[in-house]
Amino acid sequence: MISATNLTKQFNVRGTPLIAVNNLSFQVSDGEVYGLLGPNGAGKTTTLRMVMGLLEPDSGHVEICGMRSDGQTTEMRKHIGLISTNDGVYPWLTVREMLLYFADLYAVDLQVARERLEELARLLDIGRFLDQRCSTLSTGQKQRVTLARGLMHDPPVMLLDEPTRGLDVVGSQTVFRFIDLLKERGKSVLLSTHRLDEAERVCDRFGLLHRGNLQFEGTLEELQKLTGKQHLVDIFIGLISGPVDGEPVDPARMLITTNE
Amino acid sequence: MKEYLNNGRLWRLCLKELRESLRDRRTIITLVLMPILVYPLLSMALQRLIVGGISKAEPEYAFLLGTQDEETAQKIQNLLMEARRVNKIGISSPIKITRSDESTNKSTVPSEDNKNAIAVSADHVGFSIVIVEKVSLASALGDAQIDLAISKLDVESVAFERETFPSYQVQVEFRQGDLRSESAMSELRRALQLLNDNQFESVRQRINARLPAVVQMKANGIGQRLDPAASIAGVIPLVLILMTITGAVYPAIDLTAGERERGTMEALIATPAPRFALLLSKYVAVVVVAILTALANLFATWITLSFGGLGQAIFGKQGFSLWILIQILPLLVIFAAFFSAILLALCSFARSFKEAQAYLIPVMLLSLGPGLVTLMPNVQFTTLLGIVPLVNILLLSRDIMTGQSELAPAFAAVFSTIIYAGATLVVASRLFGAEAATSGSQETWAELLGRPKKTRLLPTIGELAIFLAILFPVFFIASNLGGMLDLRADSAMSFQAVLLVILFMLLPLAFAWYRRLDLATTFRLKPFADPLDSTGMQVARSLGFFVSVLLLSSGLWMVAFESYLLFENWSLASHLSEEERTKLKDTFLLIPFWLVLLTGAVAPAVAEEFFFRGFALSAFRSKEAPFRSVLYTSILFGLFHVIAGNILSVEKLLPTLILGFALGWVAIKTNSLWPCILLHALHNGLVFGMSRIGETELTKWFGADTKHLPMLWLVGGGLSIMAGITLLLVASRQTRTYENIA
Repeated sequence: MISATNLTKQFNVRGTPLIAVNNLSFQVSDGEVYGLLGPNGAGKTTTLRMVMGLLEPDSGHVEICGMRSDGQTTEMRKHIGLISTNDGVYPWLTVREMLLYFADLYAVDLQVARERLEELARLLDIGRFLDQRCSTLSTGQKQRVTLARGLMHDPPVMLLDEPTRGLDVVGSQTVFRFIDLLKERGKSVLLSTHRLDEAERVCDRFGLLHRGNLQFEGTLEELQKLTGKQHLVDIFIGLISGPVDGEPVDPARMLITTNE
Repeated sequence: MKEYLNNGRLWRLCLKELRESLRDRRTIITLVLMPILVYPLLSMALQRLIVGGISKAEPEYAFLLGTQDEETAQKIQNLLMEARRVNKIGISSPIKITRSDESTNKSTVPSEDNKNAIAVSADHVGFSIVIVEKVSLASALGDAQIDLAISKLDVESVAFERETFPSYQVQVEFRQGDLRSESAMSELRRALQLLNDNQFESVRQRINARLPAVVQMKANGIGQRLDPAASIAGVIPLVLILMTITGAVYPAIDLTAGERERGTMEALIATPAPRFALLLSKYVAVVVVAILTALANLFATWITLSFGGLGQAIFGKQGFSLWILIQILPLLVIFAAFFSAILLALCSFARSFKEAQAYLIPVMLLSLGPGLVTLMPNVQFTTLLGIVPLVNILLLSRDIMTGQSELAPAFAAVFSTIIYAGATLVVASRLFGAEAATSGSQETWAELLGRPKKTRLLPTIGELAIFLAILFPVFFIASNLGGMLDLRADSAMSFQAVLLVILFMLLPLAFAWYRRLDLATTFRLKPFADPLDSTGMQVARSLGFFVSVLLLSSGLWMVAFESYLLFENWSLASHLSEEERTKLKDTFLLIPFWLVLLTGAVAPAVAEEFFFRGFALSAFRSKEAPFRSVLYTSILFGLFHVIAGNILSVEKLLPTLILGFALGWVAIKTNSLWPCILLHALHNGLVFGMSRIGETELTKWFGADTKHLPMLWLVGGGLSIMAGITLLLVASRQTRTYENIA
């Protein structure tokens, strides 16, 4: 269960204040996949960092499984798993060593961690190369190791930061299956992406983020009903090409980001 | 934090970092390959340059005197033989005059002729005489085939008092600026001078020694003889330290900036693991690699010096012994600990390998500067230099190698290095990963150095570490300065008091204000009763605290007095003569007692309590249980008293430890600084009061043969301490502490 209330974060970029996230509130219940959608620079990563407790919001707070970001960040982080685009592996460690290392970082009991490792090895098909150095793995194998890493502490909440960026069809399929697995296990999943076609496939609900503001929130059906458009891509362009804060948006720029 | 330090978890975290470093081929290369390559090369270079330089003064081969013809050769030979006779050195070997021709190889000539050389004195290799043929004398000299050219030698006989005496005119050419040729020149001069001296002496004898020598000179060398080996001994720690840095650099970058480059940083800082634990494990790994490098280098040095012959040239007959090796190793460990912290701190905010390297190169170059200081001859390792990072370790290892290390600067060096390393590590843990979390904004430095936005009740241990790293050198330099000013006794006491108030009270207050710490809670400035109590209860508690402090102080000064006596032999005063001690006491008695109380009791009590029982105790209490906090504070309190000025007052350690512990306990129990100030002031006042009383009066009470307090006094003191403790325990029942409220 994730609940964000009135999150606001402002940065200073070369002296001028920039509101990265503006009064953002949303909730993700157990077993639900919530898609946080938006073009680059919409404030998705900043939101995720505030949810993780890495960034302190200027105002508002996050609540994860009953723990609040103002005061219990450390406890909170134990209940969150994170998988992001840029995730790497430790080239000189074996897969087993790396996964057990992360279990230690989450203060998981060693015996429990070993059992979980065996289970994840079966689920994600990484058993064959558990004792190989990570540097010898293929891209697909590394990706599955990263997914396993996110589950070593069996968190009730999972944050996926653009998990399919740079992956081929097979890689993306693995991620989709992984998200299904998370849903099956009743985890709250917060997925940030700018690939709307994929979001359409895996998310139960969406929040459309643009310039730090939540423009719309709901299921695909609700969105279709509201806009009369069939696809998320069209809906999104329709929603954001209107003036926001009195400023027109360049539709050409939007096309580039949505068609990536 | 606890769950990360227990159950071997920290060890497993360290193990991961070590695996990462040690499995990396690049680490192994610097670790193993560098020493194997560097030292033999270095030793060869040193041997050619430095050892060659030393042996110049005393060459292995005889100097070659070149003449043009046999006659001159014969004459100069006779002169040298005469000189040798005069010098009363009998060398039985006959002198052979060799002939050179163009085919003679220069390097083989001297070695062959060595045994035939004429040595004028025993400590001299002597001269070989060569008749130069086929080439001119000048070109033979220019080509360094000979060391000196005897270009002209005339002799005439002079009649004097019915005898004839020979008189020689010798013309010699030598190569200017050539060490060997110039040495040959001065040796020849010395030899021929003997002949003149001899003649003068015989003339003097004839006139019954009525005429003294024109000049009689006796020369005395002052200072230390500059041993060229000592400066070379200074090179070795420098090389070792540079190599240790080299070993630590790669893992330091790899484990910090490398995390970012591998893309593991975000996942790492998203975990609940405390940054300090993460950094501590990385630190352990870097230190281990640095120490391994140091060991590899030390071993390589030892091998090179023992088997290359360089060791004996530098360290004398016993060479680079295993004992020196054992002494140098702990220093390298301390140094590795210090430098690893610096490297980690620098790399922690680098975003890439490239950036980290850009930060490190200036640091490495900067560290060469102090390294060169140790190479300068006659740099004394003073206590003041003992707190200069890097220089202190270098000078200490130099002194250990030459067997001249002293305790006080060594202690200052080790203690300050550990403080610096700790503070740096705290800084590093704040910087580590901060950039990734705040996506490249400048907030990391602002957070670390700037004023925090929120007010906090207690300082952190990290803040204490940083403050100590500032306070310690300042305190050290300032108290040394006080000693140098050569003030009168009363001014010196006032100076110390002002210094204490500035450094231990005003500086922590300013620091706490800047860091937005609640001054009342940090320094325990609230009245010492619980505000939730009724008025009657408050008065009762206050009264209880007051009386118990009186009771404690009336007993504690005796504990201080007696525990001081235990170690009195270690103190500086015990090395003074009776006369000097009386003089000291007399000057002390001249100071008005009110000034003694103000500067020796009130000022230290207020200042030191603000820092130790205020700031430091609060910092420890933010993480630790009361007992441990009190213990750590009293150790800190004790150490600061030991390092007073430029001498170590080891005798003060036990009394201040006990007093520090008592004060810490009072601070925790009463939750207020004021009773501590009172107790501290009373304690110091009573100790000073005792010292004011004249010896004769003391003898009346103590008896003539003992310095100890009378048994009855001690029993009374013990009882009043126990009464004080009991009363304090009763009076402090059910009070709330700030830590509880916080």
